[in-house]
Parts: sequence; C-alpha cells; structure tokens
Amino acid sequence: MLNVIELENRWKTYKIKSFIPHAIITASVLLITAISYSFLQPKEETVVADQPPSEQTALSKTIKAPVQTQSEPKVETPAVHEVKEVPVVIQPLKQDTPVQYTLQENKKDIYTEEKIKLTPSLSFINEMNSNIPYYQSSETSQEKSDDQNVYQSQKQELEDEAVQEKSIEQVQEVKAVKIERKNTQDDILQVIERFKKSNDPALSLFVAKKYYELGDYHKSYNYALITNELNNNIEASWIIFAKSLVKLNEKEMALKTLRQYIEHSGSNQAKLLLDEIRNGKFK
Amino acid sequence: MKSNIFLNSKDVFLDVVNHKDYVQLDRVSTIYQSLKDSVKKPLKMILLYGRPGTGKSMFLTKLYNDLSSLQKVYLYQTPILDESEFYKKLAQDLFQEEHTNELNFTQFMAILNQHVIDEIPLVLLDEAQLYSNPLMEKIRLLSDTRKIKFVITLHKTEKEDLIAKEHFQTRIWESIELENASNAELKIYIQKKLMKANCFDSANMFQNKNINLIYKITNGNYRDTNKLLYTLFDIYAWYEQNNPSKISLNQVSNKIIEMSAIHTGLLDA
Repeated sequence: MLNVIELENRWKTYKIKSFIPHAIITASVLLITAISYSFLQPKEETVVADQPPSEQTALSKTIKAPVQTQSEPKVETPAVHEVKEVPVVIQPLKQDTPVQYTLQENKKDIYTEEKIKLTPSLSFINEMNSNIPYYQSSETSQEKSDDQNVYQSQKQELEDEAVQEKSIEQVQEVKAVKIERKNTQDDILQVIERFKKSNDPALSLFVAKKYYELGDYHKSYNYALITNELNNNIEASWIIFAKSLVKLNEKEMALKTLRQYIEHSGSNQAKLLLDEIRNGKFK
Repeated sequence: MKSNIFLNSKDVFLDVVNHKDYVQLDRVSTIYQSLKDSVKKPLKMILLYGRPGTGKSMFLTKLYNDLSSLQKVYLYQTPILDESEFYKKLAQDLFQEEHTNELNFTQFMAILNQHVIDEIPLVLLDEAQLYSNPLMEKIRLLSDTRKIKFVITLHKTEKEDLIAKEHFQTRIWESIELENASNAELKIYIQKKLMKANCFDSANMFQNKNINLIYKITNGNYRDTNKLLYTLFDIYAWYEQNNPSKISLNQVSNKIIEMSAIHTGLLDA
C-alpha cells in the first residue's frame, strides 16, 4: 500500500537535496566573483589601505586643530556663548575649508611620495650611464700612472683590441658556417628520408648536389650513382657523378663515364665538362 | 467516478506482456515489419536484442500472435534451462513425440533427421541470455540444420554482448536492436496507451513538461515508464479519495511524478 504522507516527506527531502548543489554552486560563484573582484582592484585597495590612516590622522588632526582654535575664542568671547546657533553654523563651514585644504595637501604629499618611489629606476639608468665614463676614467688614471710607457701601452692595447676583434670575427664566422651546415645536413637527412619512402630520382639528385656542395664527394658520388640507376637520362646527375669522381682522384673513370654518356645522349654540358677535365680547368 | 478514471489509468500501465497492449509507434512499427520480413527470409537465426524494458518480450509475443495462424510457431517465454527438457519440449511441440527418458542432443538430432519437414517451424526463445553457453551452441547447431528457425531475444549488456560476439557474430543471420523511446515517442506511447483504454481525460492531463520529466527519469525505457505511471495513478487515486483539493485534474503534477519516481526507486531520495 502507498503511504503518500511519508512519500510527501521523502519528496521534500529530495527537493532539499536537489537544491543543495545549486545553492553550493551559486554560493561558490558569488564567492569567486567577490574574490576575483577584490583581486582585480588591488591597487585601489592598497591606496585605500595606505591612505586612510594618514588621511584619518590628518583629518583628526586638522579637525581637532580648528575646533580648538575656534573653541578657544568662543570661550574667550562672551557674545558667542549667548548665541548658540551661530557657532554651530559657522563651525562646519570653517571645518570644511581646512579639511579640504589639508586633504589636498595630503594628496599632494602622496603624489610626491609616489614620485619619489619612481626615482630608483631613474637612478638605475643613471648608474648604467655612469658605467661608461667609469671605464674611461680608469683608463685615463692608468695612463696617468704609467707616464713612461704611454705609447707602448697604447700600441699594445690597440694590437690586443685588433687581435680580439679578429678572433671574435673568426669565431662568429665559424659559428655561422656550422649553423648553415647543420641546417643543410638536416635538410639533406629529411630529403633522404623522403627519398627512402618515394625512391624519387629528383630527391636523390638533390642529395647528391647538396653533398657535392658540402664537399662530401663520396656521398655525392653514391647518390648520383643511385639517381643514374633509377633514371639514366638525367644530365645533371651524370655531371655530378663525373665531377665527384674527379674530386675523388678518379679522373680517368670520370672521363670514361662522360664519354659513354655523350655517346648515349650527346649532351653538350657533358662535352664541356669533358673538355674542362682534359684541359685541367676542372680539378 | 473520478477515482475510477485514475484506477483504470493505473491498470493500463500494469507490467504485463500482452500483444493487445502493443502500442504502434512509427519507429517500432518499422522494426517490427523488418522482423516479420526477416522471418520470411531463409535465415537460420534472428537475434532481437536491446536493454531491459525496450519491448523485446512484447515484440516476440506480438510476432507469435501474428504468425501463429499462418505458420508453425512456438513461443518459449520462460527459458528451459535443462538441456534434456529443452529437447523433450521441442520434440513434443515439433513432432508431437513424448519422451519420458533423458534426451540428449544426438538423440534429438536423430529424431529431427527422421522427420521430413515441409514447413520450417519457427521457435521463439525469450530471455536467451539465461541459456547456458553449451546449450546456446547446440541451438546454433540445430539452426544450422535449417530444419528449425530460431528467433532469440537477448539483453544488451556488456556480458550479453560478449555472448553474442562469441557464439553468433560470425554466423549469417539478422540482428535487430530495440532501443528506448525518444521524448516524442514517449508522449505518443503514454497517450496512445491511455486512449486505447478509453482514458481520454487522463491522457489529456499529460503536458510536454510532464513528458520531459518522465523522459528524464526513465530515459524513455518502456518498463520504467509503465512502473512510474502505474504508481502515479495510484497516488492520484489516493489523493482523489483522501485529499482531492491537493490535485488538479487539468494537468499532471510534476511533484506527483517525482513522488512516484521516489516510490519506484527511479529517483534516489
């Protein structure tokens, strides 16, 4: 049998339970927004946190001061005691003006303090600038101390500087070459990988040319040979092949290969290279 | 008189497998037609699978009632788990042979081969996931003889998926999946079911927001929906009798839907 009353109670608890996550979510969202809002305005808070004590103290001081100054004459002058409303009206007016004035003064103080806080960065720049004349002054002091060997030391310094500049240039040049080699070698390796996948003679020819440019004639010979095996009608490949042979001190082999290729194709470039090798123009 | 409406509506959602209670929905009708077409094809076995409460048993009962006048069809709603009893039941139904002694697979195969079969009988096995793996394997071998055609229903759970994979996935056969109702289908299902029983007033009480809530609770499962609505009308009948001012007759209260869900265990309170 149904116990509807108990079921209603269970439904109420279910509803409460189902509202709990919503309540938690809304509360957490509110909390997060409050925290994020407080984090988003940290400067204002710090300023407010800094200002109130100074302002409050300033205010308290300034308020106290006119009150005292005003109250003193009030005590002294009996006419003021008779009319009570008059000083009450005057007091706020008199209080306002000094308060505003002091606030402005305080603000000015704060701004001047902030400006002072900014000065370290300027001094840092000044220090940076001051470094250059420091070395110059040290050099001059050295020169002054060594009066006798002025010319010799100057010459030596000039020579040292020249040597250093040269060495730096050389190092830079070497580094630059290395970087280029790495890049080209990486490129070559990538092309080799592509070639292994595709067996495209255009890729192996590219590798052969690159290796020839880099002076690795063994590899350029190998890749030119592979290219010729894949396609024996590529003129550039035969030329790189012959050139690599010459570079590997296989002049006769190169001549023989070129002759055979010229017979087969009648290539003008191959003929030119053959003549250059014969004449000794290409070594 | 009013409480009679709720009591009648309550009875509509009794969890009973009766082909007369079958509600025609577009998608379900299409699936049922494809099942009927599959039965006509020279397939050895047909698998009907889906999660519990998606209407597999109803499909099988409907199929049995629709085909029983046209061909030899046998429905085993309760699984016969003992192997010998299973063969004995088959021998009795298919060949009107009564066997008092134990009957094993080889003996049944011999009986099967003795008979010349003009029309392939259709055997409908409900809750086939309860059959043991060796028996399922033998059912498959029986279907391979093409002298008996089986339609089996399986629960679609991880375990049953495995069974389906191991035993049947490589076989050539039809598999039909039954799914839960969609939101729109659920509305049609509830209203059609109520209107079929002439409960027009209670059918009109269901608004879209009520259906949405019911769908959210039951996920469109027919059995869960039946359970939920049975309890819902039970609660309505109680209010009608004890505190009629608390209920509206124009619209179903979401509160009472939730109360029904709590009572049936569909909502955790």
